[in-house]
Amino acid sequence: MNKIYSTHYDVIVIGGGATGAGTARDCALRGLKVLLVERNDFTNGATGRNHGLLHSGARYAVTDGESATECIKENMILRRIARHCVEETDGLFITLPEDDLAYQSTFVEACRKAGIRADVLDPAEARRLEPAVNPTLIGAVRVPDASIDPFRLTMANVYDARLHGAHCLTYHEVEGLIINQNRVEGVKLLNKFTGERAEVRGHITINAAGIWGQRIASMAGAKINMFPAKGALLIFGHRVNNMVINRCRKPANADILVPDDAVCVIGTTSDRVPVETVDDMRVTDEEVQVLLTEGEKLAPALATTRILRAYAGVRPLVASDDDPSGRSISRGIVCLDHESRDGIGGFITITGGKMMTYRLMAEEVTNMACRKLGRDVACTTAETPLPGSEPQQEKSIEKTISFASRAAQGRHGALADEIKADRPSDRALVCECEGVSVAEVRYAVEKLHVHNLVNLRRRTRVGMGTCQGKLCACRAASLLGRFEGDPERAKQQLAGFLDERWKGVKPVAWGSTLREAQLTATIYQGLCGIDHAVTRKEGEQ
Amino acid sequence: MRYDTVIMGGGLSGLMCGIALCKAGQRVAIVTSGQSSLHFNGGSLELLGYVDGQPVTHPLESINQLPAGHPYQKLGAERIAALAHEAALVLADAGLHTTGNANENHCRISPMGVMLPAWLTLEGYVALPMGKDCPWRRVLMVNVEGYLDFPVDFVVSGLRKQGLDVVVADVVTDELEQRRHTPSEMRATQLAKVLSTRVATEHLADAINVAAVDVDAILLPAIIGLTDDSLERLRQLVKLPLHLVATLPPSVAGTRMQAQLRHYFQMLGGTYLLGDTVTCASFNGDAVASVETEKLGDMPLRATHFVLATGSFMSKGLAANFERVYEPVMNLDVDADGSRSEWTRYDVLEPQPYMTYGVATTADFHVVKGGKPVPNVFAIGSVLSGHDAVKNHDGTGVSALTGLAVAHNILGK
Amino acid sequence: MAEEMQLTNTSANNFEQCLKCSICTVYCPVSAVNTAYPGPKQAGPDGERYRLKDPDFYQETLKLCLNCKRCEVACPSGVRIGDIIQQARMNHFTHRPKLRDVMLANTDFVGSMVTLVAPITNFTLGLKPVKVVMDAALAIDKHRTFPAYSGTKFERWYKKHAAAEQDTFAKHVSYFHGCYVNYNFPKLGQDLVKLMNAVGYGVRLLEKEKCCGVALMSNGLYKQARRQGETNMASMRLAIERGEEVLTTSSTCTFTMRDEYAHLLGIANDDVRAHLTLATRFLYRLIDEGSVQLAFRPDYKRRLAYHTACHMQRMGWAIYSIELLRMIPGLELDVLESQCCGIAGTYGFKKENYATSQAIGESLFQSIADANVEAVVTDCETCKWQIEMSTGVPVENPISVLADALDVEKTKKLNGL
Repeated sequence: MNKIYSTHYDVIVIGGGATGAGTARDCALRGLKVLLVERNDFTNGATGRNHGLLHSGARYAVTDGESATECIKENMILRRIARHCVEETDGLFITLPEDDLAYQSTFVEACRKAGIRADVLDPAEARRLEPAVNPTLIGAVRVPDASIDPFRLTMANVYDARLHGAHCLTYHEVEGLIINQNRVEGVKLLNKFTGERAEVRGHITINAAGIWGQRIASMAGAKINMFPAKGALLIFGHRVNNMVINRCRKPANADILVPDDAVCVIGTTSDRVPVETVDDMRVTDEEVQVLLTEGEKLAPALATTRILRAYAGVRPLVASDDDPSGRSISRGIVCLDHESRDGIGGFITITGGKMMTYRLMAEEVTNMACRKLGRDVACTTAETPLPGSEPQQEKSIEKTISFASRAAQGRHGALADEIKADRPSDRALVCECEGVSVAEVRYAVEKLHVHNLVNLRRRTRVGMGTCQGKLCACRAASLLGRFEGDPERAKQQLAGFLDERWKGVKPVAWGSTLREAQLTATIYQGLCGIDHAVTRKEGEQ
Repeated sequence: MRYDTVIMGGGLSGLMCGIALCKAGQRVAIVTSGQSSLHFNGGSLELLGYVDGQPVTHPLESINQLPAGHPYQKLGAERIAALAHEAALVLADAGLHTTGNANENHCRISPMGVMLPAWLTLEGYVALPMGKDCPWRRVLMVNVEGYLDFPVDFVVSGLRKQGLDVVVADVVTDELEQRRHTPSEMRATQLAKVLSTRVATEHLADAINVAAVDVDAILLPAIIGLTDDSLERLRQLVKLPLHLVATLPPSVAGTRMQAQLRHYFQMLGGTYLLGDTVTCASFNGDAVASVETEKLGDMPLRATHFVLATGSFMSKGLAANFERVYEPVMNLDVDADGSRSEWTRYDVLEPQPYMTYGVATTADFHVVKGGKPVPNVFAIGSVLSGHDAVKNHDGTGVSALTGLAVAHNILGK
Repeated sequence: MAEEMQLTNTSANNFEQCLKCSICTVYCPVSAVNTAYPGPKQAGPDGERYRLKDPDFYQETLKLCLNCKRCEVACPSGVRIGDIIQQARMNHFTHRPKLRDVMLANTDFVGSMVTLVAPITNFTLGLKPVKVVMDAALAIDKHRTFPAYSGTKFERWYKKHAAAEQDTFAKHVSYFHGCYVNYNFPKLGQDLVKLMNAVGYGVRLLEKEKCCGVALMSNGLYKQARRQGETNMASMRLAIERGEEVLTTSSTCTFTMRDEYAHLLGIANDDVRAHLTLATRFLYRLIDEGSVQLAFRPDYKRRLAYHTACHMQRMGWAIYSIELLRMIPGLELDVLESQCCGIAGTYGFKKENYATSQAIGESLFQSIADANVEAVVTDCETCKWQIEMSTGVPVENPISVLADALDVEKTKKLNGL
């Protein structure tokens, strides 16, 4: 740890979302000495709380041509460099009887202008392609939408950054910036596990902290106006649809249904929320109602499909610098050179944009950093595949492999070969819904910055199945306790994990989901007495 | 088909009620959709373990601290004492020998290593005196490596917190290794199946005896004794006292209790319709005349009395949807909050209101429909409102006692 | 539509109603003895979520499921675990069935060929060298004895000896006899005719009867199963239009036609289902209603044990057979603990399943030995083969037991004949 703290970096990146991880990777690939710091876990912010949609850009085609063009370009790049994170589902934009069919032609034209393939389909053909779609549709357009796993994508960037020499720290909060004569010279860190404090120095500090970027900027005395926009989503228990389904109308609430892994996700709502609330987003009954009412119009089966959980993310919308009132939102990527903007050297903020354009954001900000460092190295992230996306074994060979190995291949791509399960006890299943073995848990702990159960869930999907963490949570907690040698702490974490799962279940606790919750409570409290084993709740995981 | 009593639900409460009725000569049918929540039980019944988060040592004395709607308040402490005594005898008759009594709780060890108050614990399972010194100084905790449903480190650390000196030993036998080949099926009940042969039990005993040096007792995860006498055999073969500690479900103890009680009920002449579900009831005036089941279809079950022992939400005795909480068979009156957001609270370990929901009953457990008691239908067990089994640790007690109490009510008429 | 929002949660075969409680795993007879099988939870609802995403998650080991449905009986959440697995096999298993499987599956075709030459066949099938060849070439286990083929098909006996008399009755039922009665054991069919006639019902055969298809389904011949199912349903409709209930004497055929046709094979059977029933259930209903009465021979004295076949357990109808048997005064009936015998139709005939099959049945065989009875009664013919082969104790259908114990003349009189 001391070596990490004492290194003098070219670049320090603040924020472990897709943008921060992508920036760290870009810097590392260009030969810069880089440190990535995250106050919590990777993907804890908006990166981990969205649809998991690889936008084709079609959604923005009519209203924001520039974003649409960016999207389709990045879409094609990600399909190449992050194959194992992307599932090529394609998407439909459907017109319902209550919608204006005339919008369809505007939409198709705008798509074509932005370079997005848009094929108008006969409603019958759309129903054939996607049997779950609302059968009353009167029009459909097929576009190259896809689903993407943001957890996997971010970790692949972190992994590659590390392979190229980057240092990465999670659970390290930036408490302040080291400022010397109007120059940011590094960060003041708090290790949230040990309570240890350290000052780490670097030539350039990049603020990629998403919605929390406003606070980071203020530490340097720079003012950025952010408008946190809460977006709530619902996860259904299984895949209803195998293609992304959108409404062909101006973007509105709950008009995208995305198949992700073994589930599907409907979203989102959009409401401005106060900055102070962004660390604790709760989904309200009203939001659930809106999501269901609108979602059912995309795929009627949602009315009777079990809902696993609700969650909400915060979009970091940024006030446009061009607008003196500070009220209008800037579109697209915002890369702020605080030297020219605010007279603060060595400090850049990258924000705006979307998960889709994380790579482009990383490229832009790294370009800026390179210019400042006087390093003339070209960006290669658009061509260099991420680790794990290399082609995997032939399908015919795969026929004989176990459920868990196949599931792990889905999660880690070609890197799944690194999961060593030589002994039979390594193959024991920890999470039966998602097929996570002891070996995969060990791999995640050793290689993927896993310190607690929430980290483990994000890396391996432990506890993301229909049971939302029943037997698997206890099994995983006891393994972590063993690997880390502290079973009592693991019990605390287990209680914290159950609470984190419950937070998402509570807003949708009826039907089978309430039954499941009661069974979980019966096991953990009735049988195990976990409520009498822990003395406090594990705070922020 | 005609019976004296038809019981809906074949878990602990339904079986206790059915057994008591059969013993009195009634013709009884139990209809049950699948196996019961006894499968999540660790080998102990709990009369009353906690009140307001505080452990209870003398359950009978703490009954009066329970809220007015609690099923125990309808029974009263005196009747509870008698019923508790009777329950232990019924279990013993069914071949389930237990230690413990209603006057004073003892402790069981949970899979999380927590000492939890218990009323009756199956013979062979850990039962320690509550609030007194532990009879052991140093124990051997036997572990099966790679068996994930027993978090051995949690248990050991819990025991050490109690001041016990714990030695852990991994045991390996051919039979356990064989079971390992199915990564998805390393479960307590599966291990118990492979350990049931004479040879397998001997192998396990040998492995344990090698490790059991300089300890007062041996603790083993509950992975033996599913249907046969293999636990007794093992206890004879090991050289020191051996006790089982509950695992995560499905549990060997729970499966065994379910099977023994069901078997005893059938032996007494009861009809047990497993895998069938009551779909609706036909009323004759205020009373229920018959019930239809999914499998028997248009051949309804008629009876003089009906007992609802269908359990809580997880057993489908209660149902909740986007709009309401209801009782799915007869649409009986339920005690539940109206608006969805009141059913639950943030903070998973806080008491959750939905846990106390259930059907409304009169003082002698008659169910209520449209505000009027149904004269020949009773409710028992977890489907009753007014108790929170996970917070009060009273679920099995409520089931056993209300099951017997309602049997007496029926027979008294 | 909005007012129906989230009032119920539904999913194919209820796979999503699974609470992951794992109770099914306790009651799976296969995973208890065969470590190659991933168990009902993994093969069923857990696997299904991933198969919906990617069919490559289908595993060959799913064929080790013997479709006993004991997992479904145990499931407290109503998940049709066995059906999920069956359905997955139908959707994902694309290999052409082996010759052996086609042979085993075509119980009626092989049956009708063989009946012509029954004495030779029985002799040949029993010969050791022949068994060795079957074992090696066809992978049919050499320990198995094929059920003996009867020289006279039930249908032929019926036409010759019973058909004419049936018209003399005022009331009628139709009889789906199944392959077993037709080729292997016509006596059961004759017993049914005797019993029904004694209570005043004439027995008619269906216009056209095909094998119910259970063996075709478990061997991957779904198209053929569907065709045969359609034929059966059409014939039954004709009978039902005549006002006749359709009776059966095999629990497995009944279960397949009532509970698997519609959602596994997509054969519409809604209109037929309510009229298609086991003979024991039909008879029990008549007695329960008071519309018929049975009288039994005073000299009848036997000690028998009842074995609940898996599909009988799943249908929930064992109660009718048991209650009927209990009506026989001279019969001491021991109801055995309900468990799988291991044969599961053609499953146990396959060499690769033999060991699993016998290991599953072991506990049942032991309980039969302990019961010390003259014979075992069960509603399933494949259980009969398995139990007879494995224990040496003869096995009878409840209808045969009733017919045997019946005082025909007295019964006729009681029923006004």
